[in-house]
Amino acid sequence: MTSRSRIGTIIAFVLPAGLLFFCFVLLPILQAVRYALFDWNLLKPDGATWAAGRNFGELLRDGVFWKCLGHNGLLAAISIFVQLPLALGLALLLAGRLPGRGVFRTLCFAPMVMPTVAVGFLWRFVYDPQVGLLEAVVWGPPQGWLGDPNTTLLAAVIAISWRFIGFHTVIFLAGLESIPPELYEAAEVDGASRVRQFRRITLPLLLPAATVSATLSLIGSLKYFDLIYVLFPEGSVADSSEVVATYMYRTVFRHYRAGYGSLLAVALFVIVMVVSVLFLWGARRRERLVLGGT
Amino acid sequence: MHRPSRIRLCLALIAVVVFGFPLLWMLYTGLKTPAELQAHPWRLPSRPTLANFATVLRDGAFGRYYLNSLVISVLGGLLSLLVGSLAAYGLARLRFRGRAGLLTLFLAGMMIPVHVTLVPLFVMLGKLGWLNTHAALILPYAAFGLPMTVFVLHAFFRRVPRELEEAGRLDGCSTWRLYWSILLPVAKPALATVAIFNFVTMWNEFVFALTLVGESESARTLPLGLWKFSDQFGDNLPAMSAAIAVSVLPALLVYFFAQKHIIRGLTAGALSG
Repeated sequence: MTSRSRIGTIIAFVLPAGLLFFCFVLLPILQAVRYALFDWNLLKPDGATWAAGRNFGELLRDGVFWKCLGHNGLLAAISIFVQLPLALGLALLLAGRLPGRGVFRTLCFAPMVMPTVAVGFLWRFVYDPQVGLLEAVVWGPPQGWLGDPNTTLLAAVIAISWRFIGFHTVIFLAGLESIPPELYEAAEVDGASRVRQFRRITLPLLLPAATVSATLSLIGSLKYFDLIYVLFPEGSVADSSEVVATYMYRTVFRHYRAGYGSLLAVALFVIVMVVSVLFLWGARRRERLVLGGT
Repeated sequence: MHRPSRIRLCLALIAVVVFGFPLLWMLYTGLKTPAELQAHPWRLPSRPTLANFATVLRDGAFGRYYLNSLVISVLGGLLSLLVGSLAAYGLARLRFRGRAGLLTLFLAGMMIPVHVTLVPLFVMLGKLGWLNTHAALILPYAAFGLPMTVFVLHAFFRRVPRELEEAGRLDGCSTWRLYWSILLPVAKPALATVAIFNFVTMWNEFVFALTLVGESESARTLPLGLWKFSDQFGDNLPAMSAAIAVSVLPALLVYFFAQKHIIRGLTAGALSG
């Protein structure tokens, strides 16, 4: 093959995807950075004024932004330290002897298949102070779980967990099923207790799966939007459950502040990318240490 | 252990209630009148009524939303699959400078929060006059589906034994024929997995739909249709429940029948790493 046709082939294969990706992902990101440097109204883009310094200064002083970021962090922490263990527990439950475990697995994964809008509305009604499901079972604050600033984040987290636990359960199940049973048998012969087996065999061998789940949880929590927006379309009381993505959305599409909103979006982007890379790098190192390098 | 322990059964039961009961409740709430819901939020409807479902189907235009979602998800998915598999093969088998960098770029796309592109896409598509059209969603969906597509297919192609392609080359196949006639058929399971992932993701997608096709009914997708329905009927819980049921039941039915494939599809990226 001549080198010209080889280059032609390479281009033919890779260019379409590259073009699509560039036009609808990379280029918009660059444009967002540009937009963030100006102060402009979404409906009147021609009236843009240079405001790089002003926007950035506002970002640093913006209490709501930092509050939102805190909520994102809280969301991530709860995802990793509550959701994941629960998912692991569920996976352990489903991996063992249980009649009809296929049905259980189907059921706990079902929330992942529903559109987030549906999940959001469903939980809005569950939390409804008058006719909601929870009201009859568990005491709730007078304005409802979604109306009281102290409970909004918790309410959101429960809804989010309901949706995502099935996903992590499936990942852990796959991890559990890939552990060779001979390891347990050998440990049994050596007289190791069930707890010991769990700590020394199960947990370390689940580390790759746990890493994947933790990474996806972390990244997902930082950029989360859907359920928070659907549960609180007008915003939560005192921004008690606002996250960066929803704050950015309202800034641009409610208040039409496209410049500052773009800066918020870019800030979110930078934060997510930096945290992701750091986390992945750290997790890789940890995996290598624990599993002894392959 | 021959019988599952009581604790196991108990926990399993709790799991069933937690995951299943809200869905069930939503379903039979849709069969009540608002008055009955007010009086007995919990109980099964004493006189089930289909009035809410009638309202949904009449005032909700859900037929059109289903069609839009179908068109957009199918076309978006196909585009992502076609373009992504081409790139995945190129990145797996063709050698060129910058190949690793390009691959990293695509994979990094999986971490990008889509919201950073919302405003620029809104402006760009507005200028093109494409807001509220199907294209407004098909193209960004396909673009954002590329990272996962490339990730899964690239990993797959690299594991295909080279003998297959060498045999093809001996027979005089061009690179294109190798890809189209030999590798794609072999990759059917991976392609199916990615297709399912992309389809479900696009079907359920919300933010882009809200932003880019929100104003008119012409390209409104199902999630957005449900959202708009609440503008009118938000306070009428039974009607909303019926709407949710209508939105969700077909997808759930498909899921129940094809769960193995769907679960595998949705967790593909996480498990093949």
